Amino acid sequence: MKVTLVSRSGREFIKGGLELNDSATVADLQEAIHKRTKKFYPSRQRLTLPVPSGSRERPVVLNYKKNLKDYCDGNENSLTLVFKDLGPQVSYRTLFFFEYLGPLILYPAFYYFPVYKFFGYEEKRVIHPVQTYALYYWCFHYFKRIMETFFVHRFSHATSPLSNVFRNCAYYWSFGSYIAYYVNHPLYTPVGDLQMKIGFGFGVVCQLANFYCHIILKNLRSPDGSGGYQIPRGFLFNIVTCANYTTEIYQWLGFNIATQTVAGYVFLVVATSIMTNWALAKHRRLKKLFDGKDGRPKYPRSRRSAIACSETLVASSAGAQPLLSPRLWLPRRRSAYSIVLYC
Amino acid sequence: MASAFTVLRRLYLSVYNWIVFIGWFQVLFLALKTLKESGHEQLYNAVEKPLLLAQSAAVLEILHGLIGLVRSPVSSTLPQIGSRLYLTWGILWSFPEIRTHVLVTSLVISWAITEIIRYSFFGMKEAFGFAPSWHLWLRYSTFLVLYPTGISSEVGLIYFTLPYIKASEKYCIRMPNKWNFSFDYLYAAILALGIYVPGSPHMYRYMLGQRKRALSKSKKE
Repeated sequence: MKVTLVSRSGREFIKGGLELNDSATVADLQEAIHKRTKKFYPSRQRLTLPVPSGSRERPVVLNYKKNLKDYCDGNENSLTLVFKDLGPQVSYRTLFFFEYLGPLILYPAFYYFPVYKFFGYEEKRVIHPVQTYALYYWCFHYFKRIMETFFVHRFSHATSPLSNVFRNCAYYWSFGSYIAYYVNHPLYTPVGDLQMKIGFGFGVVCQLANFYCHIILKNLRSPDGSGGYQIPRGFLFNIVTCANYTTEIYQWLGFNIATQTVAGYVFLVVATSIMTNWALAKHRRLKKLFDGKDGRPKYPRSRRSAIACSETLVASSAGAQPLLSPRLWLPRRRSAYSIVLYC
Repeated sequence: MASAFTVLRRLYLSVYNWIVFIGWFQVLFLALKTLKESGHEQLYNAVEKPLLLAQSAAVLEILHGLIGLVRSPVSSTLPQIGSRLYLTWGILWSFPEIRTHVLVTSLVISWAITEIIRYSFFGMKEAFGFAPSWHLWLRYSTFLVLYPTGISSEVGLIYFTLPYIKASEKYCIRMPNKWNFSFDYLYAAILALGIYVPGSPHMYRYMLGQRKRALSKSKKE
């Protein structure tokens, strides 16, 4: 069949189009495009069905595993698709590795090296036990993350845009340094012993729970990552869709209870809002996909996405619904926005 | 479609815009009067009260955007109002030593002209439903000159205040403390200066885009 490719402005992207087998898959098409254009390897390509101009619906993105035939709307011999270049891509593994490497290296630098000399403090300083435990806790956390990246996680999309490397590294490395500066400061004031133990103890339990959540998520998919989306079940997933984010958030809370710095709590608030956004999106996606029709199971109605209160605040501040909107305040049955029951 | 809510909204916004307009008009009037009679060193003292009031009232605009009363995205009003409030309270009000600087004059006049045009423009639209085309043109053209003069004045004033910030230790929080937190107002000021580097071209380009949209839209009508 003949495939015509246009750019989003309507210009023909490959002159004359491409000729493929009737039984070809989208992946085959991507290979053919790559062969012709050299520059655009498959993970850089975004192929969508054209939407009628003026229509505000989101374009359908082609799935690389499906047959091209599945997207032909009646006319089996030709197909017109819209091409978008997603820019240089890196694998998620690469992205995560560099993000997490920063905190793993920068934090110990503040602990071990006489960094504070450059801020005008004397070299001699007393190191409190909590500062040492915080170092171990922090480094274990990021070491765990790196291990999970290489040995546990099964990613649904193989790649991420290169620009995300700079953005994400800036986030992790800046916050890592910001927190490390205060926890390892020569004038650091430790909290009481009991508070420290409660904080780290709770944090460790949550990190273990978080690891178990990752194992559960991994088992939902096959090794080549082709499992797509499944309904997670068991453990905390029976209560929240993104139990992995929930345990991660509480794990940071444990760290902050033990170390008590404004920097750490600021990081907690920012990280919580980011993860809550992701959790809301994933929760909505799963609810939409698992609608109970065509043999698909129905997504359990009683689940929240991660933490109900923060969802409301995040959703309204993200502009999803202005604060004056009645939908936000009237109690809705079984929805992620009902703040009444779950704070 | 004149529901009670729409009428109330228009009434409130008309009152708001016209009152703040009067505030800025006062600022400009007193500024020019003082320049003629006494000189630029006295300008701040003459305009202080209406300036503090009119500029602080702008905080309400963030609220308006948040609750959906106006369409402006919070993302563009926040940096604009943030820098204004920082200059007004964080620099001019906090450090009297800088008030006699000549840049205060260029700052106040740039701000006042911009705001007089802007608030009367919105006041017209809310109260009467329209604004004459010359008014639209002024609203979307004067920034071409006033943004550079205003921004240069802001940057200059922050820069010249730095020695006073360093000497006074004002707004600084030092360690040790229970929350293991520190804040150095000097470094915050230097950071603010840094933000102007990408921030100013961004705001200018945003206004250029707004100008294109607004002036071409009026041509079509």
